[in-house]
Parts: sequence; C-alpha cells; structure tokens
Amino acid sequence: MSFVNSFKVRKSWDTAILALLFSVWVLASMTTDNFLSSINVSQIFSNSSEILIMGFAMIFLIIAGEIDLSIASILALSSAMLGYSYAQGAPIWVAILVAVAVGSACGFVNGFLVTKLGLGSLAVTIGALALYRGIANGILGENTINEFPEAATDFGFSTIGNTFIPQTLPVIIVFGLFFAFLLHNTPFGRRTLAIGQSPEAARFAGVNVVRHKIIIFTFTGFMSGVAGVIYTFRFSTAQADNGVGLELLVISACLLGGVSIFGGVGTMWGLVAGVMLASSVESWLTLREINAQWRTIVTGILLLISVAAPVLVDKAKRRKAAASNKG
Amino acid sequence: MASNKKKLSLGREGSLGVILVFCVAVTGFINPRFVTGDGTRDLLSATAIVALLAIGIAPVMIMRHIDLSIASTVGLSGWVVADFCAKNPSFTWVHCFIIGGIVGIAIGVLNGLLVAGLRLPSLVVTLGTLYIVRGAVYVISNSVDYNAQEMPPSLLKLGGTAYFGLLPFPFLLALILMVVVAWVMKYTKAGRDCYAIGSNPPAADLVGLKVFRRTFIAYIYCGFIAGIAGVFYLMRFAQIDSTAFYGQELAVVAAAVIGGIGLLGGAGTAVGVVIGALLVQTIQGALAALGVDAFWKAAINGALLIVAIYADRVLARRSEKALLAQRIKERV
Amino acid sequence: MANKGDLLLEMKDVKKRFGGAIALRGTTLSVRAGEIHALLGENGAGKSTMLKILAGVHEHDGGEITLGGTQFIAGSPQASIDQGIAVIYQEPSLFLDLSLAENVFIGRQPKKGIAIDWKEAQSQAAKLFKELGVELDPKRQARGLSIADQQVVEIAKALSMNANIILMDEPTAALSASEVERLMTVMRSLRAANKAVIFVSHRLDEVFAISDHITVMRDGATVSEKPISKTDLQTVIKEMVGRELTELFPKTEHKIGEVVLEVSDLTNPAYFRNVSFNVRKGEIVALAGLVGSGRSEIARSIFGIDSYDSGAVKINNKPLKKNSPIAAMAEKIALVPEDRRQQGLFMVAGVNRNISMESFSRLTGRFFINFKKERALTEEWRENLSIKYADQSDPVDRLSGGNQQKTVLAKWLATDPDLLIVDEPTRGIDVGTKSEVHRLIDKAAGEGKAVLMISSELPEVLGMADRIIVMREGRQVTELSRKEATQENVIAAATTGKKGI
Repeated sequence: MSFVNSFKVRKSWDTAILALLFSVWVLASMTTDNFLSSINVSQIFSNSSEILIMGFAMIFLIIAGEIDLSIASILALSSAMLGYSYAQGAPIWVAILVAVAVGSACGFVNGFLVTKLGLGSLAVTIGALALYRGIANGILGENTINEFPEAATDFGFSTIGNTFIPQTLPVIIVFGLFFAFLLHNTPFGRRTLAIGQSPEAARFAGVNVVRHKIIIFTFTGFMSGVAGVIYTFRFSTAQADNGVGLELLVISACLLGGVSIFGGVGTMWGLVAGVMLASSVESWLTLREINAQWRTIVTGILLLISVAAPVLVDKAKRRKAAASNKG
Repeated sequence: MASNKKKLSLGREGSLGVILVFCVAVTGFINPRFVTGDGTRDLLSATAIVALLAIGIAPVMIMRHIDLSIASTVGLSGWVVADFCAKNPSFTWVHCFIIGGIVGIAIGVLNGLLVAGLRLPSLVVTLGTLYIVRGAVYVISNSVDYNAQEMPPSLLKLGGTAYFGLLPFPFLLALILMVVVAWVMKYTKAGRDCYAIGSNPPAADLVGLKVFRRTFIAYIYCGFIAGIAGVFYLMRFAQIDSTAFYGQELAVVAAAVIGGIGLLGGAGTAVGVVIGALLVQTIQGALAALGVDAFWKAAINGALLIVAIYADRVLARRSEKALLAQRIKERV
Repeated sequence: MANKGDLLLEMKDVKKRFGGAIALRGTTLSVRAGEIHALLGENGAGKSTMLKILAGVHEHDGGEITLGGTQFIAGSPQASIDQGIAVIYQEPSLFLDLSLAENVFIGRQPKKGIAIDWKEAQSQAAKLFKELGVELDPKRQARGLSIADQQVVEIAKALSMNANIILMDEPTAALSASEVERLMTVMRSLRAANKAVIFVSHRLDEVFAISDHITVMRDGATVSEKPISKTDLQTVIKEMVGRELTELFPKTEHKIGEVVLEVSDLTNPAYFRNVSFNVRKGEIVALAGLVGSGRSEIARSIFGIDSYDSGAVKINNKPLKKNSPIAAMAEKIALVPEDRRQQGLFMVAGVNRNISMESFSRLTGRFFINFKKERALTEEWRENLSIKYADQSDPVDRLSGGNQQKTVLAKWLATDPDLLIVDEPTRGIDVGTKSEVHRLIDKAAGEGKAVLMISSELPEVLGMADRIIVMREGRQVTELSRKEATQENVIAAATTGKKGI
C-alpha cells in the first residue's frame, strides 16, 4: 500500500518522530502522576482538534509548495461570523453554514491571489492574516459572544456517553481518513505531490496547476472554517482573537511530521505524529505546572528544530560520505 | 536610452509622495485638526517606530530575506530596558539605548546564524524566533508591567522633545538613520553586495561575493535597530507590558513593500521605506480622523500589504512584457 | 600582457568522472594568445565538463592543466577568476536590478576615499563597451537587456578583470543573425588584444567563419586538434560523428496512413512564424535545426504548454484546443520533453509513480488508485522497455540517464498515444541505450503512431526520419524526404537558411 510505500521513503524521519513521541510519553508519565490517565489523554486529543483539522488540509498546501499563514485568522473570522449571525437570530445550523462558507471564501481568495495574480503565497497570506483577523476585529470589536445552544457547546466539550472520547473525535477521524485517502490513494493526491516535486513537470504531465492549487487553498479555507466552528463550541466563545498563532502550530506540526517545507514530500501519518508530539509536550508542561507562557517558546523551538533538523542531518550525511570517499 | 531604473524608482518614490500629499489634503479638508502642528507631530511620532524598523529591515529584504521577529524583539528590548531602569533609578537614556541595542544584537545573531549560517529559509526561521522571543518576554516579565514612574525622566523628556514644534526626536533620529543607510547602501561595497545578493543569489555566489558575511551582518543590524525601536516604544508610550508591539511586524513589512522594496529582493531604498511608513500611518490616521473604527486597523494593514504586493507584481510584469516585445522585434 | 602566440592554456590527458559516468576520459587542449579556438563535439562529448573544470565549478580527477607554465588551481570559481579565466555562459547571469556599470564592476567597484566612485565606474564601463564596439549606456538597468547585450556586459566584465582566457559556451545559440555578426566583431577585437578565446558552438558555419583552431571532442576525449587551414566542414563532421550512419539505426519501413497531425500557419512571433506541416500514421517526421530555432516551442504549442498567436492545430481532423495539455492528452497526444529532469520526470518520486502519472484512468477503481494495477503496469513497461531498477519505488534520480529516458517514454507509451512527440529523445544517454530508444520510436511508428521527432543530432535525424523539416530562426526553411536528405543539405539549410548547397 502507498502508506507502506511512503513510509519506506521517509523511514528514518518517521522512526525518529515516533521514538521521540514515545520517549515524551514515557518521560511524562514518569515525571507526572496522571499523564496517561484517560482524562488527560482525552484532553490531549481535544486540545489538538483545530490543529489536526487545519493540518489535514494545510499538508496539501505545503506539499504543493505553497503555504497559508492566514488559517488561524480564517478560524477567527469564521468564529466571529458564527457568533455574529447566531446573535443576530439565525438558527445555529445556518450560522455554522455561514461560518464554513466564509472560511471557504477566504481560502478561495488566497488561492486566487496566489495563482491567478501570481503573488507569492508567503507574502500574500501574511497580508491575509492581518486582513481576515482585522475583519473579525471590525465585526466584533471587543465583544465576545458566548451564548450558544447547549447541544453545540456539548459537542465542543463533552465526551461520548461515559467514555473519555471527546465528541469531536469522530468528526476529526472522519476528516482525517478522508484526507489521508485523498492524499495517498487518489490521482488528486498524486498530482498534489507532483506539483510540489516539480511544477514544470506537472504541467507537462497535464496537471492544471492553477486550478489544482485554487482547490487546495479553498478546502484549506473550508477546514479552517470547520476549525473555527469547533473552536467556538469548545470554548463557547466567539471573539476576534480566537486561535491567535495557531497557524504556526499547524505548520510546525507538518514540518515535525516530515513534510518538506520545499514541497513534494509528506504523509498524513507524519502530520498526526507531529501534532501528537507537540500537544503531548504541551500537556506535559501543563501537568508539571510549568508557566503556560513557555508554550510559546516551545512552539518556536519546535518550528526551528523541524526546519533545521533535515538540513543538519543532510549535512552530516554528506560529510560522512565525503569522509568515506577519501578513506 | 535613459536610465530605466532611475525612472522606475523615481516614479515609485514620486508617486508615493503624491499619494501621501493627496491623503493628507483630503483628510485635512474633512478634518482640519489633522493638518495642524499638533496633528503633524502626532503623526510623525506615531510613524517613528515603524519608519525606524522599516529602515532596519530594508537591507534584509533587499537581500531577498525577511525578519518577522522584529516586533517581538521590540517587545523584549522594551521590557528588558524598562526592567533595568526600574531596578537602577540612576540610569539615563544613554543606558537605555545601550541595553536595547545589546538585546537586539543578540536576537540578530541568532537569526543570522540560522539563516546565513545554515541557509535555512528565513521566513520559517524568523517565524520561529518571533515566537521564541515573544515567549521569552512572557516568561521573564511574569506579567509585570512598567509605567512612566519607573522610567528614566531623561528618556521620557527626550521622547517628548520636538524640534521646530513639529519634528519629534524619535522621528528625527529615524531621518538621520535614513540618510546614513541610504548612503551606505548606495556608496559602499557592502551596500551594493546586498542588492546583488537579492537580485540573483546564485550569481552572487558565482562572482565570489561574501554572501554569508553580508547576510549575517544584515540580520545583526536589523536586530540592533529592532532593539533601539524598543527604546522608542518606551519614549512614545511611557509604559510597557509583555504584549507590547504584538503583531506589528506586518505593519513594518507592509511599509517596506509599499515603500518600494520588492519581495524578490534587489530593489528599494531607505528613503522609499520611510515614505512608505509615513503613507501607512497617514492612511491609518486619516481613517481614524474620518471616523473609521480603530478595530479595522489590522484589516487595513493587511489589505494595504496585499495591494502593495500586487502593485509590485504588475510593475515586474510590465518589464517582462517589454522584454518579450523587444525579443519579437529583434526576430523580425 | 601576453604576446601573440604565447601558450596560455594547456590541458593534458584530463579526466573526470561523475559517480559511475565517465565525462572526460583524457582530453588535451592547447590554446595560445591571440587565437580563437573552437571546441566542437556532439551533445555529451564532454565540452561543458571541460569548460566547467576551467571555470572552477568542477575539479578534474586526473591529468594536468597548466596556465602559461604554472599549475592551474582548480575547484573554485574565485580562483579561476584570479587566474585570468572568464566564462561567458549561454544564458548570462547578470544582476538584473543593477546598472550595467555596476554589473561590470560588482565586488570591485572603483573608490574615491571610502565611497564608491560611480562616475569613474561608469566612464570605465563606457570605455570597455566602446572597445568592444557596442554602445551601451552604463547607467541603464540590466533588466530588459537582450541576451546579446548581456553577453557583451559579461565580456566587458571579463576584460575589466584582466582575464586573458575567455571561454564562451554556445554564445550564439540564442542570438539573431545580426547579433551573431556583432559578437564576432567583439571576438575579433579580443583576438586583436591578444586574448585567447575558447568558443563552443554547434553552428559550424560560424565556426569556420571565425576560428583559427578547431578541437573536436567525442565521447569525452579529444579526436583532433587542427588549425583551420588544415581541415574542412566534411572532415569536422566526420570527426564529430565518428561512425557510419547506417550502423546505429534500425529504422524499418512502415505503412504510412492518413494524416494524424496537421499544423497550419502556426505563429508565436517570439519563437516561430507561419509553420505548416503534417504527420501521418506510421510516419516519423523530424524537426531539424539548431538549438533556439523554435523547434521545442512548436512542440510545446502543439501539446498546449504554451499558447500561440495565430494558426491552427488539427488532430485526426479535429481542431485542437490551444494552451491545454489536458485537451491534448484527451486527443491522445504525448510529449516526451527535451529536459527530462525538469520537465519529464518527478525525480524524487518512484519509478512506478512516474510511469502511472499519465494513466490514472486505467488504474482507478471508482475513486482510488489500485496499487496492484499500478505495480502490474510498471512491471509491464519495465519488460517492454527493459528498464533497469532495483525496486519499483526507487526514486528515478537513482537511475542512469538512459533508464530515466526510458521511464519517460514508458509513461507516455502507456497512454497509447496516436501522436508521439519526442524532443531530443537521446540527449545525454550512452550509445547502447540510444539505439534502444531509436528502436522503441521505430516500433511506435510501426504500430501506426504518428511520430514527431525533434533532434539536434544530425545522424539521428537522418537515420530515423521519413521526412525532415528544417527550421532556422523560427522559420521553416525546407522539407526534405528521406531520400533527398544528406548531412550537407540539412546543415546548410539549418545554418544558412538556403535550400541547397
């Protein structure tokens, strides 16, 4: 199967991440009382909801050699739209649809700017990052909306029956399976990888690169909208600064999971392992009652490690090869 | 044939100037307070920090890199300086600048090693250091804020000084720096190497330019300026907490891009970025003066940045088209 | 300053290998001051490797290189510059944002006190341009300069560095006739200044018009080194090819059927004008001509990678939508592009993934790729084309050039095209694989496919094609049948634009 296949290519990296994840779990359960308690594990999953949801789509963008830094702002804007339209009297399901539609529209706009106008995705989505959160800010100002139907907020922070499985988890798993199959088992996924490996060769292979990228940008927006909805219900609050900085967590999870920042390489397994690693470390820090502010630093360091490690490993390999050539 | 480049960049700075004057005129017409001495002084002192940072980031961006960690560095430097001053009441503004500068240089060295030394993509690296530095502010500040009473009076006095009743000290300092940087970028090998490296990185290696050294120093300089900007922050707001200047890196990048620094490097001037910073601030101020809600500020920054990138792209495309037309002509 | 006739560069038995591939197996070359020395050879003969060693990009593994008697310090571009060697590449790499004067003096700007003296730089640059006989404004930006003018700037740069050996790698490939004329003037003035000019070109008419000496290389070794007076066109061609044409190509006769591809009045003014031809079932039609004569661009336009301004393409008598590779593929057109590493393959992806790339419709159930079928497809084409690899999922960049090319052919043949376009199908692959590729192309024609072949290798064109269309500077010069075509009349048409000798 292709899972096995892609696993083989990135074996060393994947093994390293899994080993790291495992050692974090061992260390954490040794140094804290309840790291592996069902409630904490449930919490780890629940806390990674938005990162996973956005990551499932973002991985396609990074593999295709693009990036979207505005996803957390799209999350905030969807959340704001959800709260705003519900507060204006719309039924909750209409509000949800509005939120997701706005998210998709934002993603489409990003894709349009990048492909049709030919602007660099990094730069443009930095602008979009400010723009979308700014609009959320403009709509809500300093207001927060935290009146939502009970069913909705239940979905956000309750578990299924007497278990410790968060209600959001099945939704995440469904999305995860869908995007994993899309990436690894369909022509669409193959074309995404192909674009990242060589946009020119993709054109010669008959891939409509522009359309393909717009589709990816749009469903990244869509998934950010979904993440906005889940975030809103999980915290029972819609406000303009929801999810600030999440885009970095998503990107560093992708990179940690072995997705190349230069495109063309990446697996859904890797992404999930990367997310689990980041949120396990975070949970560990929380349980150790280490100042929550350290999280920001840890995020930054993880990001640096994930981008520097492949380069350093490569350099070491080359040095070794050169040494053995001489010897 | 006339100098192509000169025409373009004159056009850029000239047209920016025209837009600037137009904005000021329209806003002044609707809200006369905007063009009084007080209004101008406000505008200039509000612009000083972004203008200073834009001059700082200019060489980095001219080399086709970026530094997103500057706003966090401003926060760190500002907080560290305030902390030192609170604990040493005898400190004056001179101490402030020295401490701020050192903090900035330290961050610059870190960025420079990662980007120039390991040749990692600068955007991801400085995104990482953005978070690390901001996290460091959170951790060391431990939610302690500082206000005017803990700051050296000499610093606050300097911040309040305005020459000719119009020119606040920080803005004057930014102007002096602008002149120095403009000269260095135009008349020294180091400056010209920056343009060459950004214009065609592989060729820069081929002709033997010192790419590592130039890039490294550009990051140190950029960090240093961000450290100084932290002191500017204290002068302007006489108050600091751990979220100071949060997210403002975008305003700086926007000012630089609007001021004519292409995201593909190789172009732009210090004078341009200062005009760019003035323009961004004027538009912000104008919208406020026209009664637009302050909550829209970030959205406007973002939209301005996208428009600037688009304008940049249109200009580049125009010269590509001209090249193609020339090719066709030669073929006939 | 060197005197005329001084020995400036001597290479003896220089060797270079890249991994398993031998690029140079013992090259000799000696070049004197005041001489224009042409370096000739087919693609893959080792000319570029030799230039790159002198440029300091590569380091040789064996042999001796001396510069005016002293040992050459290899392996660093800077060291090469310091030793007076300058390289002018086919596509110059100027700093497009900077002025011409600055491009000439980058890193070595003249100074007055601590500041760069721009006036001085500009007047020195102007002087250099004048010496070269080309009036360029030193203050203008390099962006927007033609390739020819960019080369002049590079040459001025070389002069300002006191280079006495100037290497030019196919400098005329992208130039128009008048630009070539001007470049020749520049080269003559370099010769007059007692520089040594080493000049790589495929345009033999130019070579004979300007060179004093000709060195011919083949398969990584020097075949001959003669003054121009002691050789002629026929001799040089024979030395370059080095084998009888009939040995290599197993071209067989096929039944030629109805027209598959019909191109009429196709025009894209930047690259080609008023091109009209057709290709029939079972027929191999070659587009011959020099690099830069617009052949690849025609192929790209037919396949829809690029657009065109006017004219029409019909396939099986139906008009083909322009600028849409997807439409072209739907009409069963396949394009094996000239640059297999950039355009033809996904180098980090496995062989199986490359081969299946164009054939998803045959591999998918309803939505998903059936990996069993993908394996079978790869296996089928491995057998058909005898591609050698250890494992189906091996990334193609681990394969040899020949096996890579077969992989590209496999992925397109797997689509069972009606029209197969092959652009430089045997560039940079070894002789054995070459004839295998030719056999495959011949077999495709035998199966009734129409084949349009673009090739810069004359023996390949003459050996394979039923008809030859010769292009020069974007225009069709002539069309020759298999019987009419000879080395001489194809070369003559491609280089001079005249229909016969």
